[in-house]
Amino acid sequence: MAGVTAGDPSWSKHVADVLRRNGIRMFATVPDSIVTQVLEHLGADAACRVVTVTREEEGVGLLAGAFLAGQRGALLMQNSGLGNCVNTLGSLNVASQIPVVLVISHRGDLGEFNPAQVPMGQATPKILDALGIRSIVPRSIAELEAQGDGLIKLAYTRALPVAFLLPAELTGGKLG
Amino acid sequence: MSAPLTRAIATRLLAERLGNEVVVANLGQASFDLHAVADRPLNCYTFGAMGQCSSIALGIALARPDVRVIALDGDGSLLMNLGSLCTIATTAPPNYALVVWDNEVHQTTGGQPTATAAGSDLAAIARGAGIEKAMTVRGEDELQRAYDRILSEPGPLVVNVKVAKGKSESGLDRDVIGGPRRFIRALAARGRQSGAS
Repeated sequence: MAGVTAGDPSWSKHVADVLRRNGIRMFATVPDSIVTQVLEHLGADAACRVVTVTREEEGVGLLAGAFLAGQRGALLMQNSGLGNCVNTLGSLNVASQIPVVLVISHRGDLGEFNPAQVPMGQATPKILDALGIRSIVPRSIAELEAQGDGLIKLAYTRALPVAFLLPAELTGGKLG
Repeated sequence: MSAPLTRAIATRLLAERLGNEVVVANLGQASFDLHAVADRPLNCYTFGAMGQCSSIALGIALARPDVRVIALDGDGSLLMNLGSLCTIATTAPPNYALVVWDNEVHQTTGGQPTATAAGSDLAAIARGAGIEKAMTVRGEDELQRAYDRILSEPGPLVVNVKVAKGKSESGLDRDVIGGPRRFIRALAARGRQSGAS
């Protein structure tokens, strides 16, 4: 990808491992070509449950229910799906202090080939900020490992959503 | 056919039969009526996120397969999240039932007609999504037979209940943080058993 260093292909296992070692066992997803690499690790793990939903917002509701029933959950999606979740993240998770871990592949930023991805790509960090959702943008496996456990701990300390925003520098992006 | 049902009566008829089931109520009218008829710690009231009642209940059912979970949704809210019916069908939790209070209007916002007023059939949509046990009921007799099934058969079930229009006569404190925590504690205290009861 022009202007972006290709990712180390082991990034996806590191993401899966950070989630699993912090007790997350319930996963909801609307997959894309990037987060599906993480889902391959989770789907192969008998201790993990992956539910493919029809729309990202549905996953937010489902994982809120799982939390109310004692299970930690993560939603894996492309940033285009963040827009589909905004009201539920605000009026359910933030309002009622129900934590969820968002794992978001970031399209529409450095190196993007599809012009339709760019507006939401540029808006994504601002949408997270507007909802008060703490996020990290790990640009390497080292950064992911340094920050991931702390991000998840923060989510459950204060019972709020947090987000891993995964840039093309980490994942290699989508090559078109 | 029996006399037309009200949502409050239909809620009371369910409440009279409840044991240790979890009941998740949609924001607004469904939560108001449930709270007025039978407030209990295993009731999960919702306050925001219109459309998500069926999904929240699904998450509880998947995380606690030992507990029977009954969602009380509204037609307007379910119409916002019809994809949820597909996810219920694909995950097929045996401990899950979705009851829809179908009054054919957006009650809370002033009674504007929903698509079910024009003939959209939520039970047929549920069957089309792949949920075999999906039905529409009218009147107390049919409703009680549907409750028999909800409380005894493996799910998932979808029961669309035609109810009269009208706002709840009750309200609910909007304790958006404390309310869910009372539910979390009550469900956690319900020890795990084998199979839904």
